[in-house]
Amino acid sequence: MQRLAFVSFLRGLNLKKIESSKEPPWFRYLHHKKQQMADGYSFDDPKVIKFLEDAHKLMVEEALVKGSSKGAKIVDFVQPHLLENKLDLTITEQPEADDKILDACKKIIKYSIKTSNNRFYNQLYGGVDHYGLAGSFLTDVLNSNLHTYEVSPVFVTVENFMCQKLCKIIGYENGDGIFGPGGSFMNILGIHLARFRACPNIKEEGLYGQKKMILYTSDAAHYSLQKGASFLGFGTSSIEKVKTDDMGCMIPEELDKKIEESKSKGHLPLFVMATSGTTVFGAYDPLDKIADVCQRHGVWSHTDACWGGGALLTKKYREPRMTGVERMDSVSWNLHKMSGALLQCSSLLVKDKDILIKCNGTCAEYLFQPDKIYDVSYDVGDKTIQCGRKVDTLKLWLMWKARGDSGISERVERAFDNASYLTERLRTTEGFRLVRDKFQCTNICFWYIPPSLRGQSESPEWWQKLSKVGPAVKAKMVTEGTMMIGYTPLSAKGLVNFFRIIVGNPLTTHEEMDFVLEEIHRLGKDL
Amino acid sequence: MEQTNGNVSNGAHGETNAFLRQLFEMMLTEGIEKGLSRDSKVVEFKHPKDLEKIMNLKIDGEGASDQDLLDVCSDVIKYSVKAGHPHFFNQLFGGIDQYSLGGSWLTDCMNTSQYTYEVAPVFTLMEKVVLTKMLELIGFNDGDAIFTPGGSMANMYAINVARFQRYPEVKQVGMAGVPKLCLLTSDKGHYSFKKGASFLGIGMDNVIPVKTNDGGKMIPVELETKILELKEQGLEPYFVNATAGTTVLGVFDPLDEIADICKKYGLWMHVDAAWGGSVLLSQKHKHMMKGIERADSMTWNPHKMMGPPLQCAAFLTRHKDLLKDCHCANARYLFQQDKFYDVSYDTGDKAIQCGRKVDALKLWMMWKAKGDSGFERDVDKLIELSRYLTNQMRNREGFRVVAEPECTNVCFWYIPPSLRGQEETSEWWQKVAKVAPVIKQRMTEQGTMLIGYQPDGDRVNFFRMIVSNMSAEIEDMTFVVNEIERLGKDL
Repeated sequence: MQRLAFVSFLRGLNLKKIESSKEPPWFRYLHHKKQQMADGYSFDDPKVIKFLEDAHKLMVEEALVKGSSKGAKIVDFVQPHLLENKLDLTITEQPEADDKILDACKKIIKYSIKTSNNRFYNQLYGGVDHYGLAGSFLTDVLNSNLHTYEVSPVFVTVENFMCQKLCKIIGYENGDGIFGPGGSFMNILGIHLARFRACPNIKEEGLYGQKKMILYTSDAAHYSLQKGASFLGFGTSSIEKVKTDDMGCMIPEELDKKIEESKSKGHLPLFVMATSGTTVFGAYDPLDKIADVCQRHGVWSHTDACWGGGALLTKKYREPRMTGVERMDSVSWNLHKMSGALLQCSSLLVKDKDILIKCNGTCAEYLFQPDKIYDVSYDVGDKTIQCGRKVDTLKLWLMWKARGDSGISERVERAFDNASYLTERLRTTEGFRLVRDKFQCTNICFWYIPPSLRGQSESPEWWQKLSKVGPAVKAKMVTEGTMMIGYTPLSAKGLVNFFRIIVGNPLTTHEEMDFVLEEIHRLGKDL
Repeated sequence: MEQTNGNVSNGAHGETNAFLRQLFEMMLTEGIEKGLSRDSKVVEFKHPKDLEKIMNLKIDGEGASDQDLLDVCSDVIKYSVKAGHPHFFNQLFGGIDQYSLGGSWLTDCMNTSQYTYEVAPVFTLMEKVVLTKMLELIGFNDGDAIFTPGGSMANMYAINVARFQRYPEVKQVGMAGVPKLCLLTSDKGHYSFKKGASFLGIGMDNVIPVKTNDGGKMIPVELETKILELKEQGLEPYFVNATAGTTVLGVFDPLDEIADICKKYGLWMHVDAAWGGSVLLSQKHKHMMKGIERADSMTWNPHKMMGPPLQCAAFLTRHKDLLKDCHCANARYLFQQDKFYDVSYDTGDKAIQCGRKVDALKLWMMWKAKGDSGFERDVDKLIELSRYLTNQMRNREGFRVVAEPECTNVCFWYIPPSLRGQEETSEWWQKVAKVAPVIKQRMTEQGTMLIGYQPDGDRVNFFRMIVSNMSAEIEDMTFVVNEIERLGKDL
């Protein structure tokens, strides 16, 4: 191969000869280099294009067409230390030929989870929309960085467009938004904005000598608040967890109590994070009432709609779940969950148009020069904490343009409809027990009670036995690769391991929901 | 209305694949073959308000037809900057490679989160392999690392982890429970330390700049002086950032000497090698990072010099368990302890993020395909091209090199004939300052090339040309010089 020949050429260079020349050493052999250099790089080279074509064909066929087809094995599970041997991951000194790379791709596909398949019910994301996929491919080909209009004119335009659209859907008349690398990050950014509004000088001075600031959220909320509190310098001791009701919704009166308590201690109530669609139960906190409490006390209100925000896209499910959302100061919303964009696709939408830039702007002069030839307010990079930033909005926009508002809405409505059907089946089928009578979102939680445990007294020992069913069924499920459903305990409500199925993939049907029950029964009946 | 519905396979395989196939063709021909050819423009510039009108972004109630979508995609390509173009020299990234592109596409097809082995078995192992390789190159042989969404985040991880190591209680009690901490970085350090200090509750004022010399490198004696000054003022310096490859001039701070000082005063040493870290891939040039193995942590952005598409950045540390201890929250719904595989393979709790995009595959694929020797050759080539260009400019009238490059930043002023041979008063410099913006405007409007400019310290606007495109050749260096002259000689 030419590349190898070049490397040995370099090594064989007689440097003494070169030093005696007047020209700098590197200059002389750069000329030689030019003849042998370009192999395998230039897109004029048909081999390069062929590799891309072969790779593209392979991944669409194997990962998507086959992977998402009904009844396909969605996981080929191998224990970690054994998988290390099956995959030849080592990188060596020498290059690897294209056909070996394509073989590696095949193995990668084989041993990865086929999340495009609707029987992947394990996480809050799933499914692959081909328009979104196309948008993501195009993003990579154009490989740009979202900090300035200068290098990303189209992408800045698209991001601005999408932020405005999302603000409009929420009901912010004059809001702003930004995309970022995940919901946790967007929640944490929300806290940072609240802190800036309360005490702008913290930007320069830090938290030293400040009153203790308190962050409130429900006991069912996502753990990003915890991670954020430490990261931002508040410490986890500044979190107050508010009681939730039986369904997992924050109780506004309890929030009010907590805030009063903080005030009486001389602390500063800073930030309330409501959740629209909790991670386990899918509960929606009552935003209107929470907004009332926040308004009364002058506290920043944020809702973590990373998961449940999809309800905003439908007429049918928006109210009462998201009633009052337009009153919140900020909303985090992961479009890569219910709405079907590819990871990552997270947004933070803010009611106050100016706060992002005021809080985060530092005007680095090598990047945000004020004397550019275009309106520099389009350099959106200074609105966030990141410098370089991946373009995540093209894939979202292309998918949405392709599906139209009605298509995006239908996707969410289908998910709710399937979840509702599943709930009824679980309620009325022997051996299955819903953890709660109804769920507000499309995460449905249930126990499977194998025949051996049925009709017994539900003592603590019995519950202990039941807690082992989830992991055992899961292990079998994954080993056979027919389906993937997660399980979790919920100690805040005193609940042992139960299944949590997430219904969201548009390929799901009522028949597929029937299959879930049949399959769990098949896997678990002998336990 | 022609549309392909559902996911990729929905009984209508043929139709769905047709859209993907057509777009793929378009990406290859318009985006790559034509878009990256030297004969085509680097950018077709439009002002923001004009672009908003041209781009048919509107979303209707009903979905758009496949043809309409393809038309818009064509516009997306047309009006985007071609960062892979051989004459794109504007930023610290550039170029495009078929292996990392394939790897990035495959990442999307597998669409999953990196947080557990359960949902990302292959990618968990792959991330480990790549990061271990990077740790070995640095000399953090028993360390730990993680991919982050960018260099700024990696720098923030360093600030956080260092703070936690010094005062583990800060995780619970926050800044109220610790003395007034401050961090030091050179006056040429990246602004992410300021943003990071503000974000982490330390405050931008507590990021203390250390003087650099004329070449832009941190002066170790100044560092020591500052540390003592801060202590006398009752502050607690705890963290020093050394920059390996500064953003504008591309120089490397003296790591060994800085390490000596950090050791002496018990400070955490972080090296922001987001840009310059890739020199570690070259036997010939890695000496620029001499002393790196003595640092506590490092930031390294492969999406800069190594070439995979954004995002691909890493935080690496010599301290094995610190990331996990500092960041863990042990969420039971995700990191169940009773899983049927060894749960130490679940990396999610090491991060601040929960869901995390898979960034390892595109880098792994590129590295596997090229081998270490491939990357070495490429890094050597980029550095040598930058030296060639500098030499050209030194021998060409009207060009003045700002400083000797270490990384691949070539910084220079262009002095048009009308300003040559004059006395270099401050008024003269003000005139020179106006040259770069005009040339930039012309080059953007004509789309022939993109090179950034900025002022820096006392220096007025100068060009900062970055060689980071793996497919750049000598002819492109010559092109730079000729083109600047063509655009600016009448000023």
